[in-house]
Amino acid sequence: MIEMKYFGSYEAVTPGELIADEGRGGDGTYTEGNKIFSKYLGTVGYNGDVATVSPIRSIYIPQEGDEVIGKITEVSNKYWVVDIGVPYYTRLDARDLNMRVNPGELDSVIERDDLIYARIFRVSPGRMADLSMRGSRYSKLPTRTISSVEPVKLPRLIGKEGATINAIKTTTKCNILIGQNGIVWIDGDEKNRVAALSVIKLIDESYYDPNLKEKVDKLLDYVRTKI
Amino acid sequence: MYEQRFDGRKFDELRKIEAEVGVVPNAKGSARFRIGNTEAIAAVYGPDEVKPRHFEKMDRAVLMVKYDMMPFSVPDRAKPGIDRRDMEIAEVLMNALNRAIMVEEFPQMMININVYVTQADAGTRCASLTAASMACADAGLPMRDLVASVAGGKIGDSVVLDLTKEEEDFEGGATDVPMAFLPSKGEILLLQLDGKVSKEDLKKVIELGKEGAQKIYEIEREALKRRFSNESKS
Repeated sequence: MIEMKYFGSYEAVTPGELIADEGRGGDGTYTEGNKIFSKYLGTVGYNGDVATVSPIRSIYIPQEGDEVIGKITEVSNKYWVVDIGVPYYTRLDARDLNMRVNPGELDSVIERDDLIYARIFRVSPGRMADLSMRGSRYSKLPTRTISSVEPVKLPRLIGKEGATINAIKTTTKCNILIGQNGIVWIDGDEKNRVAALSVIKLIDESYYDPNLKEKVDKLLDYVRTKI
Repeated sequence: MYEQRFDGRKFDELRKIEAEVGVVPNAKGSARFRIGNTEAIAAVYGPDEVKPRHFEKMDRAVLMVKYDMMPFSVPDRAKPGIDRRDMEIAEVLMNALNRAIMVEEFPQMMININVYVTQADAGTRCASLTAASMACADAGLPMRDLVASVAGGKIGDSVVLDLTKEEEDFEGGATDVPMAFLPSKGEILLLQLDGKVSKEDLKKVIELGKEGAQKIYEIEREALKRRFSNESKS
């Protein structure tokens, strides 16, 4: 248990600020001796004997097992090059599809500028990542509205056991798909898509607001009257 | 002899400071820092792929720092573009920021830091460094601490803090010592000297600079924390 707390929960800290003298440093912290310092500009949290800092802004680093949304930037003979918004060279091999594709005929299945939902199955040193679309969950996505939310804010967008995102889905009658790289794909009627987008933007802008839930509920109520 | 400062400040008093973050919406992080009539705007982009490729480091991120003075920043127009002075200052800013940012977390990547001086009245490298460190924190980069930077020096026989251009050109002889610190660690990241100073006086200047940096550090932190209340308003 951390007895001596220098900050309250969700209080803002800047890099280099001392947040605890004892306990363990969790995400977003670094330790020097016994002292735990913040690594980011963000909000502090104490959980038992672990002190953490969740940053204001984050950078997505690919991890094995993450499900992401990406855009095809290049079609080669045996693979596609995919842009998932990271400084990594990301590829989808023709063998990692559910169906069999002949070499050289890749653009008959997925063309340039198409969107895909896929899984990262390997991250190799040298900033390379390999995607896989094996499995029924993954597919090519038709062109619809796209938005991007920073990865640290995704837990807020999803909510407890998906509460927030499900509320948005049912209220706006949209099908929403979230990639762990922060790209959000929204499918539905044009009017509903705009409504869903406005809710997502609200969460993106004020994700550390303690009253966020009320704000979102209010906006959803307003949306309900319009649809 | 220099007994009374031109602008009526005390010898250990800073000029009026303004600090603000989020001034460049298109950048990942940005900041504006103003001290007296010196103002710098910093914008941070990245991490990104390293271009050109041969700058790439296998174990850490490469910082690309650009420092430039706007043509209108000085009384007689500054020539646009990067000159030798700009390159040197960019280099010292990069060395200081390398210690502050945890570059080892982004191997083989590049972080772009652009600093522009919109008004110059001495101490531009200090203002630039302070603005750049705030912009990096705003961009969500992992850092050991914020950098607080201030110039000290000696005018005539007096040890002073935060010189103006008028004081730097004092005909009785002036020494300019730009300094940068990691305030909570007490580390020195930048120490340059232009002029003549004795060993004892240099120690006094550094002590004075440390106190000044602490005040700047408080203002930086306050400005960064304001980011939270500002954003939730919109």
